[in-house]
Amino acid sequence: MKTTHTQTEGLAIEVRDLRKAYGEVEAVRGVSFEVARGEVFCLLGPNGAGKTSIVEILEGYRTRTHGEVRVLGLDPARGERELHERVGIVLQESGVQNDLTVRELVEMYGRYHLRRRPVDEVIELVELGEKADTRARKLSGGQKRRLDLALALVGDPDLIFLDEPTTGFDPGARRQAWSTIRSLCDLGKTVFLTTHYMDEAQHLANRVAVMNAGQIIAAGRPEELGGRDLRPAEIHFSLPVQWSLGDLPDIPFEQRSLDGDRVLVTTKEPVLATQRITTWAVDNDVDLGHFSVNQPTLEDIYLELTGAGVGEGETVTEEVVR
Amino acid sequence: MSAVATPSLKRDLGLIAWQVRYEQRAYWRNRGRGIFTFVFPLMFLVIFASLDKGAHISSRGGIPYDAFFVPGILAYGVIATTFVNMAISTAILRDQGVLKRMQGTPLPRWAYVAARIGSTLVIVGMMTVLVLALGAFAYNVHVRASTIPGLLITLALGTAAFTALGIGITRFIPNAEAAPVVVNVVILPLTFISSIWFPPDGMPKTLIDIAKLFPIRALADGLQYAFDPRTVGAGINAQDVETLAIWTVVGVFLMLRFLRHPQGEVR
Repeated sequence: MKTTHTQTEGLAIEVRDLRKAYGEVEAVRGVSFEVARGEVFCLLGPNGAGKTSIVEILEGYRTRTHGEVRVLGLDPARGERELHERVGIVLQESGVQNDLTVRELVEMYGRYHLRRRPVDEVIELVELGEKADTRARKLSGGQKRRLDLALALVGDPDLIFLDEPTTGFDPGARRQAWSTIRSLCDLGKTVFLTTHYMDEAQHLANRVAVMNAGQIIAAGRPEELGGRDLRPAEIHFSLPVQWSLGDLPDIPFEQRSLDGDRVLVTTKEPVLATQRITTWAVDNDVDLGHFSVNQPTLEDIYLELTGAGVGEGETVTEEVVR
Repeated sequence: MSAVATPSLKRDLGLIAWQVRYEQRAYWRNRGRGIFTFVFPLMFLVIFASLDKGAHISSRGGIPYDAFFVPGILAYGVIATTFVNMAISTAILRDQGVLKRMQGTPLPRWAYVAARIGSTLVIVGMMTVLVLALGAFAYNVHVRASTIPGLLITLALGTAAFTALGIGITRFIPNAEAAPVVVNVVILPLTFISSIWFPPDGMPKTLIDIAKLFPIRALADGLQYAFDPRTVGAGINAQDVETLAIWTVVGVFLMLRFLRHPQGEVR
């Protein structure tokens, strides 16, 4: 029943109507997507949405119940060595031989691959140079995660899977990890990322698919996901008591309100509205406090899409203060 | 066809040799594991031998106690370096996700297993040399040239059976913390009825019959047979060899079952 599959040029991953059931429970319910070569693709969703099921099917750790899957033109369920040669995997949680040093581990794992990157170069890339002769047992959480990345990179893969690569990181370590991941894109690698952090998706991904309850409920570039770029922006400021809403200049707006001294204007033309308000304030010597213009964040969209009251992870407020 | 297969096999053999080196390095760096595995049997050898200094075993035609005890400890050393070591380390590697990580690399699973077994063989070889050297120099128990075939066959089968069983039993070890307990519960009681520490003379027949079902007694008895000064011929105890061979088959079966789903069978 196998149909001959012609590999579509330029695609790193193709998934058609993928389903995965564990007994009675269907964890993945008909998911389709494509990832182009050289792209950073992010699967975003709350815990239990089915992200890990999908990524582990793509990595060949799990079998699918239904659907077509191609990774670099190969079926991962067949466990072919060629696929392991070309794919780097950073699992959510996986240890290493703890008694070996960073350098030994990179050497050891590198040797499994026909094509490989120089050991020192890989260690430098993940910024573990100073820890090269330290045993894995003695590394901090963040350093271990970077070692994971080094071991995934040493085989010079075309495609890298990163399953929640920064979970449990402090903010500094996350920034560092992001810059490393971004340097992978500069190397021309395809990156498949899963995360439940909105800001991570936003910083790293060219394209995001939002998952909830086993299905993709939205997909697109982070800045336009869920029509985010078309949503009205919010302008906030406080108005001194002697002024009222009626005194404001003529501006394009959807809604405007005054709560105490706090003004909220929602508008689809934030640039024009901002320019009129600020010009008016300067001309009339009005002291506007706490002036800010906000576009709905990816998190707002995400919470709206997944219908979750409280999001996981950190809150990102993207403030454009003029 | 073989023209295609050969370079790939050659590469894999090279990878196995490579992996054995790193397995060895990791093994000896972990003092708690590497050193104690060796210290334990040697310590027992010294303690027991000094307790019974100069004693003879009347039920065995008055042979020196040391001639019984050195091969007994050798059996224990083989079990510690193969079964105990393999079961505990495999459970740890599984729990820490190292097995899963290895599965995602181009190193074939069989090659990784072969390297782990190869590394175990290096360790069991060193243990054998150490125990035999200590036995010869400190306790005047020497390998007998005529019974070397029996000694080698028993050692080889014992190593094979206990290595395979060590990997296979991991399936029944729920987590790494439980590993030392499970392993000792399986091994320790049996060693007392299996002719390791003392001859089973005067032991109830039922216990001896139970011990005879398991490979610990077969290994100890087979080695003791090869060291017994009264043994004539090549020193091959057919019954012990048979028991060990059967357990090797059982061990390989369990090992292969474990290796099919090293992470558990949920997927």
